[in-house]
Amino acid sequence: MDRRTFLKIAAMGSLSFASGCSSQPDKTLFSLVQAPDDMVTGRGTWFASTCRECPAGCGIVAKNREGRAIKLEGNPLHPINRGRLCMRGQAALQGVYNPDRLSKPLIRENGRLTPISYEKALSIIQDKGSDAAKKGQGRVAVFTEMVGPTLLSLFKALLAQWHSETPTLFEPFAYESLKLANSQVFGIDGLASYRMEQADLLVSFGADFLETWLSPVEYARRFQQMRAFGSGGKGVYLHVGPYAGLTAANADRFMVCRCGGEAFVAFGLIREVLEKISDSSVSGDLVEPLKRILDPFDREEVLKLSGIRQSHYDLLIERVLSARRPLILGTQGAGAGENTPATDVASCLLNALLDPDLTLIDFSNRHTVERTAKRSDVLNRFKSVTDGKVDLLLLNNIDPVFSVPYNAGFRKTLGQDSPFVVCFSSFMSETAALSDLIVPIAHPLESWDAYEGKTGVWSILQPVMGNLVGTYTLGDLLVRLAFKGETAQQGYRGYLANDLIRRGMIKDERDWIKTVQQGGAFDGLSSEGGLSSKVQPSWSWAGTLSSAIDPGASGTIFAAVPSIRLFDGRGANKPWLNEAPEPMTQVAWQTPVLMDSHTAAKNNIRQGDVLKIASTWGELEAPVYLSEFLHPDLLVMAVGQGHTAYGRYAKGFGTNAAGIFPPDTHPVCGGPLYRVAPISLTPTGKWLKPANTDGSRVQHHRKIALTVPLKALYEHQEKGHPGLGMWDFPLTLPLPEGYDPQRDFYPPHDHDGYRWAMVIDLDRCIGCGACAVACYAENNIGVVGEKRILQGREMAWLRIERYLDEADPTRVIFLPMLCQHCDNAPCESVCPVYASHHSREGLNNQIYNRCIGTRFCSQMCPYKVRRFNWFDWEWPAPLNFQLNPDVTVRSKGVTEKCSFCIQRIKAAHGKAKDEGRMIQDGEVIPACAQTCPTDAFVFGNLMDKTSRIRKLMADPRAYQVMGYLNTKPAVIYLKKVIRDV
Amino acid sequence: MTALPVIAAALAAIFITTILIGTGGKPLTVFTFFAQTKAVFLRNKGALAALFASVFLVAAFLFAFYGASGAGIGPEQPIPFSHRVHAGVKAIPCEFCHSYVRRSTHPGIPPVEKCFYCHNDIIPRYPWIQKEREYFDTKTPTPWKKVFYLPEHVLFNHERHLKMEVQCRECHGAIETMDRISRKRFKMGFCITCHQEKKANLGCWLACHN
Repeated sequence: MDRRTFLKIAAMGSLSFASGCSSQPDKTLFSLVQAPDDMVTGRGTWFASTCRECPAGCGIVAKNREGRAIKLEGNPLHPINRGRLCMRGQAALQGVYNPDRLSKPLIRENGRLTPISYEKALSIIQDKGSDAAKKGQGRVAVFTEMVGPTLLSLFKALLAQWHSETPTLFEPFAYESLKLANSQVFGIDGLASYRMEQADLLVSFGADFLETWLSPVEYARRFQQMRAFGSGGKGVYLHVGPYAGLTAANADRFMVCRCGGEAFVAFGLIREVLEKISDSSVSGDLVEPLKRILDPFDREEVLKLSGIRQSHYDLLIERVLSARRPLILGTQGAGAGENTPATDVASCLLNALLDPDLTLIDFSNRHTVERTAKRSDVLNRFKSVTDGKVDLLLLNNIDPVFSVPYNAGFRKTLGQDSPFVVCFSSFMSETAALSDLIVPIAHPLESWDAYEGKTGVWSILQPVMGNLVGTYTLGDLLVRLAFKGETAQQGYRGYLANDLIRRGMIKDERDWIKTVQQGGAFDGLSSEGGLSSKVQPSWSWAGTLSSAIDPGASGTIFAAVPSIRLFDGRGANKPWLNEAPEPMTQVAWQTPVLMDSHTAAKNNIRQGDVLKIASTWGELEAPVYLSEFLHPDLLVMAVGQGHTAYGRYAKGFGTNAAGIFPPDTHPVCGGPLYRVAPISLTPTGKWLKPANTDGSRVQHHRKIALTVPLKALYEHQEKGHPGLGMWDFPLTLPLPEGYDPQRDFYPPHDHDGYRWAMVIDLDRCIGCGACAVACYAENNIGVVGEKRILQGREMAWLRIERYLDEADPTRVIFLPMLCQHCDNAPCESVCPVYASHHSREGLNNQIYNRCIGTRFCSQMCPYKVRRFNWFDWEWPAPLNFQLNPDVTVRSKGVTEKCSFCIQRIKAAHGKAKDEGRMIQDGEVIPACAQTCPTDAFVFGNLMDKTSRIRKLMADPRAYQVMGYLNTKPAVIYLKKVIRDV
Repeated sequence: MTALPVIAAALAAIFITTILIGTGGKPLTVFTFFAQTKAVFLRNKGALAALFASVFLVAAFLFAFYGASGAGIGPEQPIPFSHRVHAGVKAIPCEFCHSYVRRSTHPGIPPVEKCFYCHNDIIPRYPWIQKEREYFDTKTPTPWKKVFYLPEHVLFNHERHLKMEVQCRECHGAIETMDRISRKRFKMGFCITCHQEKKANLGCWLACHN
C-alpha cells in the first residue's frame, strides 16, 4: 500500500469514526427518595447557626443547595455581628468539606492506627473511664476548647460519674492579663465589652480588635461607627505599640514604642491625667497613692523607658486630656511580653480616671471567652497528668502540641503509654497524631448545640446540612457516655432543648422552633446601664503596676502574634485562608518574620533571606520580610503555620513560632509569653522568594489610593477647570451623560433601566480581607497554591491592595480592587472574539465559552483584575461540594474576573419580574458587600437618581482610580479621610 | 432516517475509491482489460478482503447506531417509565411530577415516594413497580438517565420560561407521544431564535450564561 492509499483509508476511517461518536455519554440524574418540605432543587434554603471558628460566637446563616451548604453569611438578627462575617467565618465551610477530614475512630495498636467502629470506641472510653474511677478521685481529666454551657454541663456530668474534677477550658489566647486587670481594678474577673462607638478618642496599647481580639467583627463595626467619616462619629484612634498589624495600620496615628514600653507610656499618661483632674470626682484616696507610685515616671523617664517619640507622646497627652469620651484599650495579650499586666492595669485605671462612671465599659454583656482557664492553670492541671495522677485524658478539639511552647510537656506526655489519651478531633492534628484513640466528631455546621458568645446572647447551632462523612456529634457521644435509657436515646438535640428549658432560655417546643429559626435567644442583651463597677479600694493592682520592668535591657526581642487569617493555627488547613494574603505583608502561604528595614540594612539582610532565630528554648528558620512599621529591636511573626500534621494544606507550610518560647507562664497574670529575649540571629545563606501578591508598596505618583485631610472637606473648595491631566480629570460617570465627543472615540452605551455600579468608602475599609474570601466562596474561584502565587498566577477576583500614602508614608491605605466595569473598557475593544462584552445593564461580561485565551484583555486592563486560568484548578473531594451551582466553574485557557455577582442580580431580576416592578435600591448585594464588617461597599443602580450610590457620588471625596485614562469606571472610591493628629 | 443518504454516499465513495486505487486512476480499464483486472484482483485478494470486511463493519456500525429500531428513541432508563402512558394516555400534568418547575431553575424529578401515590393501588405487583418499590424500601435514589443536556456554562431557568407562557413541548417535543424520551440537542441558535422572536432578553450573562 502506498502513502496516498494509506492517507485515503485513514481519512475515511476517522470520518466514519467521528460521525459515530458524537453523542454524549449518559449521566445519571438521581431522584430523592422522599422530598423534604423545605427543599426545592435549584433554590437555596437558609439555616441559622453559629460560627465556631473563634470564641466570639457570631451568628451565621448558611445557604443550603440540594443538601449541601455552599455559602455562609452573617445572621442579620444576631446582635454580635449583625449580618457580617470575617474571613475565618467565611472559610468555615472548608472545615466541613476538608478533604483531610477523618471519618472513623482510630485506635493505636502496636504503634499503628487502626479504624474501629463508634460503638467500639465508646465502649473503650467507657471501660477506661470506669477503671479510672475505681482507682480513686480525679483519675480522669478533660481539656476542651471553649464550648457552650450545655456541652460544658454534659462534660461535668460525665466527669462526676468518674469521680473527677470539672473540665479545663483551654484556648491559646485566653486574655489572662486583661482578666487580671479587670479583676484587680474593677473587681470583675472577666472580659467586659466596650461601647467603642460612643467614644470620641480611642487609644489602644496593642489590642488588635480588628484582627482577633475578643470579637473582631463586632469591634470592626463599632470602630467605624466611632470613626468613619459620615457615620456620625468623629472619633480619633491612636495606637501605641511595638509593631503595626492591621489594627494599628488603621490608626489615625501609630506610635511606635519598645516592646513592653507601652506600660510606661500608660504610667506617664496617668500621671498627666492626675495632675489635670485633681479636683474632679475621682476619690482622693485613689489619687494620692497613685501619684506616689507613678511619681518616678515623668516625661523624660517615660521617653527613655518606652522609646516613644517625643512628638507622639505630647500628642497623646494632649488628645487624651482634651477628649470628652475617651476609651483606653489594653494590650493584645500574649505577645506583649512581661509588662502586659502592668499595661492592662494602667489602661483600666486610665479609663476609671478619665470617666469615673465607666459609661463606655459594659460589664453586663461580657465576652464569655473569660470562662477559659488561665494558661498557668492549664499547665498546672496538665502537670497532674504528667505526674501520672490521671489514667484517662480526654481532649476536645484542641491542639496544645502545636500551640503551646514545646517544652511545656504536652508533646512528651502525650507520646507516652500512660495515660490513655482520647482526642475528639475531625483532623489529624499534631495532638491527635500523638493520641491513643482519635474520635472524629461532626463539624459545628453539622451539629446541634448552643453557644453563648457574650453573656446573655445565646446562639443556637443547628445542622445546616446532612452529616457528610458519617461522624457523630460530640454532644451525642457524651450523652451516650453519661446517660442510659431515655436520655441517651433522645440524643443531644433533646438534651439541649431540655437544658434550655431548664435554664429558662425557651419556654416550650414552639419557642424552641422560633429560637432555632432566628438563630438564638438574644433577649438577655442589655443595651445601656446594667452591671456597673468602680475602682476597687483593695489596692491589689498596685503590685501589678510595680511589676513593670525596663524593656530596654533585653536587646532584640522576638514576638509572635495571633493571625487574622489562621487565628491560633486552627485555620491553617483551609485553602482559602492560606491563599488570602496577609493584609499588611500581602504574603500568602508563608510565614515571614517581620524585621525593621533599617535594622536589616545595617545587618546586611535582604527581604527573603532565611534567618535562624534561636533562643534558650529552641530555634526556628524563617524568611525575613522588611517592614517600616515596627520597633528596630523587634522581630514579629504570626502564629498559625508550621504544622507537621493537620492535612495537606497545613503540613509543611511556613513556620511555627511556639518552639522557641519559654514554657513557663507570666508570674503575675499566668498568661503565656509569646515573646522571647535574648535571641540570636544567624543568616542561613538560604533565600526564599516571598509569595506576595502586591506589586509595590508605593503608588508611583499615580491616582490610585487617595487621602484627603478632614479640614479640607469642610472648607469651601474652588472647583478648578477640568482638564485631561491626572489630577484635573473630572469624575466621569459611566452613563450616556458622561459621553464627551471631544474625548471619546466610541459612542455612548445605551442602558436598559439599570446601570450597576459600586461605591467603596476607603475611610471605612479596614483591609481585613473578608470580602476577598467571601468572593472565593461565592464565585468558585480556584486556589492556586504557593508555587503559582510565586509565578503571579493567583485568581482572586477581588483583592485588597495595600499602599503607603503618597503624602505621608507612615500611613497605610487599603483599597479593595475588583473589576471596575468600565464604560470605556479597554478589555472590550481588544478582544478578537468579543468574549469581553458590555451588557445592557453596564456590566462588563466575560463569556467563558467564547474566550480563546489571548490574554489581550489582561494586558490592556489598567486595574489588573483579569485572571487567566493557566490550569484546571482542583477541588479535591469533597471540597467540590461547596461549589456554587449558579456559577460556572472555569476551565483552563479562559480569562475570568469579577461579575458584580451577576447570579445575585439575575435572582433579583427574577423576583422583580414576578412582582411586576423594578429592582429596588439595596435589593442586590454582592458577596463582598454582604460580608463587609464596616459597610465599606455600597452597590446599586446608577440610572436610579434616588439610589444610595447616586447620592454618594455627590460626596466631595468621590474619585475614580486612574480615571484620567477615561475608562469611566463604575466603581467609585471615596477618599480616606486623614484626621489632623 | 437522515442517516441513510449519508451511509449510501459513504459506501459509494468507498467503492469509487477502491476502483480508482485498483486501476491506477483509469477506471474504464476494469472493462477494457478485464483479464488483467481479474489478475490484479486475485493478486490483492488479501488486502481486498480486509478492505471489504472493514467497509462492512463500518456500515454495520452506522446502521446499528442510526438505523436500527430503538436508535434515537432516547436513553434506556432503569425503570422503563413511559411518558406516553403517564402524560399522554392518563393525561397527568407535567407539574404533578416535576413539581418545582414553576418556582425554580430546575423542574425537579419526582422523589421515589411519589410513584407510590398511585402505584400503591395501580398494578402494585407489576415487576417494574416492584423494582421501584425496592428502591423505596432500601432508600436508594432511582438512577434515572439524564436526557436533556445543556453545557455547564449555561443556566436555563425553567421558572422564567413557564411564567412567560412557554409550553414544555416547545423545547422538549411531544413528550406525551414518547415512551422513552428522545434526546434533543439544544444549541445556542435554538435559544437565540426564540429569544429574538419573542423579544426576550438577549444579554449574554443577564439571560443565559453564568
